[in-house]
Amino acid sequence: MIQIARYLTIDLLKNRAVIGSFLLFVAIGWGLFFIENQPEKALLMVMQVTLLLLPLITLIFSCIYYYNSYEFTVLLLSNPIKRSAVIQAFFIALSISFSFAYTIGIGLPLLLNNPSPESVIMLVSGNFLLWIFVGIALFICTKVNDKVKGIGLVLILWAFFAFLFDGLLILIMYQFGAYPIEKLILILTFLNPIDISRISVIMQTDASAMMGLSGAVFVDFFGSMKGLVISFSALLLWVAVMYLGSVRNFRKSDL
Amino acid sequence: MISIKDISKTFGKQQALKSINLEFKKGECVALIGPNGSGKTTLIKIILGLLFPTSGNLTVNGVNIEKNVDYRADIGYMPQMSRLPENMTVAQVFALMKRLRKDVKELDTDIYEAFDIDGMSKKGLGKLSGGMRQKVSAALAFLFNPDILILDEPTAALDPVSNENLKQKISRVLADGKMVIITSHNLSDLDGIVDRVIYLMDGEVYFDKSIDELRSSTGEERLNKMIVKSLKPQLV
Repeated sequence: MIQIARYLTIDLLKNRAVIGSFLLFVAIGWGLFFIENQPEKALLMVMQVTLLLLPLITLIFSCIYYYNSYEFTVLLLSNPIKRSAVIQAFFIALSISFSFAYTIGIGLPLLLNNPSPESVIMLVSGNFLLWIFVGIALFICTKVNDKVKGIGLVLILWAFFAFLFDGLLILIMYQFGAYPIEKLILILTFLNPIDISRISVIMQTDASAMMGLSGAVFVDFFGSMKGLVISFSALLLWVAVMYLGSVRNFRKSDL
Repeated sequence: MISIKDISKTFGKQQALKSINLEFKKGECVALIGPNGSGKTTLIKIILGLLFPTSGNLTVNGVNIEKNVDYRADIGYMPQMSRLPENMTVAQVFALMKRLRKDVKELDTDIYEAFDIDGMSKKGLGKLSGGMRQKVSAALAFLFNPDILILDEPTAALDPVSNENLKQKISRVLADGKMVIITSHNLSDLDGIVDRVIYLMDGEVYFDKSIDELRSSTGEERLNKMIVKSLKPQLV
């Protein structure tokens, strides 16, 4: 598995889409800090852009890479190698490549321009997020053999996590505004990894003061070390579920 | 070497293979042919463990392939390589495969050398022509000295010299007692090397005959003419 992951990573680091993502992250990271003088505002801008783009890029590229490597997968599996080793290698190689692009591309300008705990949290949660979305992409691809259907499905999932989920939360908050539903909203937030990452970062900044009553519950939770540990554990759980799900799918699926 | 018993495979409502029973023996060169959608690829994928049969069982050298990967050490597969990691070089593919198959000490580099794989070793897989990919695929299939070779359209994109080299190599491994399964649409390429023809149609074995049987029943010498004559009742 390690050998396959190693060679796939070498291939991926030379891939134009990975290099392009890296350059895009560099442009976003340095560009927004160049435009905005206040480092905390710039951090929030970087966060909003990356939390939207990072899942989209990792989802689409992971899917395309997996489908485009079909014959290579077949070639590997015509040897006495367990299926799980091959899909694990894909997961590791894609995660390493995107982690590299994100950590250097966004992390460097972030830590140099705003060396603060929230930058570190943003960097860590961003990495968790891309591992989760690599896992989601592989989970879908190992279930759906048709490339067009697979990519279509991950796009729908991205739209759900990036926009629709928050819309649903807002709807619930407005409909049941008269009731004390802050804790319910807090729990529901854990169903969306983008929200966990976003709130974990925002709660470390002054912007959290603008979130009203529900914000107070969030600040209490995410603002504390315990809350941070729980939210990172939730992200880790997301990674584990998606990773194990894709391994399970791949072991049982027809190729 | 390979024993297929009552293998069926369905995809949704479509039945790709209908209760197939076949035996492949040592030293045989079998042509697995049939029209598109007849079930050739499905059958090969089941042998390789890439598809799971809906029913039936399959043994390779007496070992049931279900939940087993070790049997694949005896198989060399030459796929049609089109979708590959484009930046991985030919040298890296061979290095990776050798690392994965450390157990094999004696490599068969006849095809590797005949096709001058070293000459293209620095090229990325994405930059290879169809013929070059075919050569890489063939060299990998033979590299680990397998007892069973499964060659999927082996001559589709090869130039005449490489085609002849490959046919000579197939004849040599057959003489060594190995078994070869070839799928091909180009029947003239199989002339002189295959000694048994299995014709699949609509997921069933339409006929399974030795070359001698086909020759005597059709009175033809060329494989493509034998097949056409054998199919005539069905075509009419």
